[in-house]
Amino acid sequence: MKLTDRMQDDIVILEPKGKIMGGPDASLLNDKIQEFVEKDQKKVIIDLSQVEWMNSTGLGILISGYTRLRNHSGVLKLANVTDKIQSLLTITKLVTVFETFDSVDEAISSFDK
Amino acid sequence: MLKPEITGNCIAVPSNYEFLPDVDMFIEGILRGYGADESIIADIAISVSELVNNAIAHGNSQDSSKKVIVEINRSGDNVSISVNDEGGGFNPNDLDDPLAEENLLKEVGRGIFIVKSLMDTVKIEPSPNGTKIIMTKSIK
Repeated sequence: MKLTDRMQDDIVILEPKGKIMGGPDASLLNDKIQEFVEKDQKKVIIDLSQVEWMNSTGLGILISGYTRLRNHSGVLKLANVTDKIQSLLTITKLVTVFETFDSVDEAISSFDK
Repeated sequence: MLKPEITGNCIAVPSNYEFLPDVDMFIEGILRGYGADESIIADIAISVSELVNNAIAHGNSQDSSKKVIVEINRSGDNVSISVNDEGGGFNPNDLDDPLAEENLLKEVGRGIFIVKSLMDTVKIEPSPNGTKIIMTKSIK
């Protein structure tokens, strides 16, 4: 997995690419979320458009990011959730936890509402 | 030097997460050779990654001297994959329900549940010498 990040105004956008299956690669995403939490960033979007698939380790990282941000009065949103990941969110009931959006722009706009 | 060992349709890796991509590449390559579509390949690859993660973490306790062995076979339209570790075995009935309200925000504990959801059959054979999990899925 590779990971890039960018800022749009006060919103952090994380762009993982590849497969999130565990091991050192996956901790990249975990560590990056923690880095932004420590910088007191409150709004984070993970753009999943380039993630081929993830397993329960990937879901665990999303949950960890969600709870850490929430504990710092922040919000984590997901954008461009692929069919495969959407299916995993559904069968694990995590679809009831995460806010998901069809595009990064929609996720950004949702912070104004 | 620790490295994966491939023999025919079988791959053995030391119990280290750095070898997860080797197992994935091996399994996905064979499935593409079988003509499976990408969605089915992803379901199987996710399931294999779950079981290999569990075998490394829980079965072999990240002891690199212990191996995780993954074998794939095809019988008609069905693919069978076994994952073996060298740990002390576990009781599958001891697993928490990941859908229970109190477990929903736990970061771990969904692996076997996901495997059972994505594959057609899953058989867990714990023993004092290691756990063997055999799963099957139709690729048509």
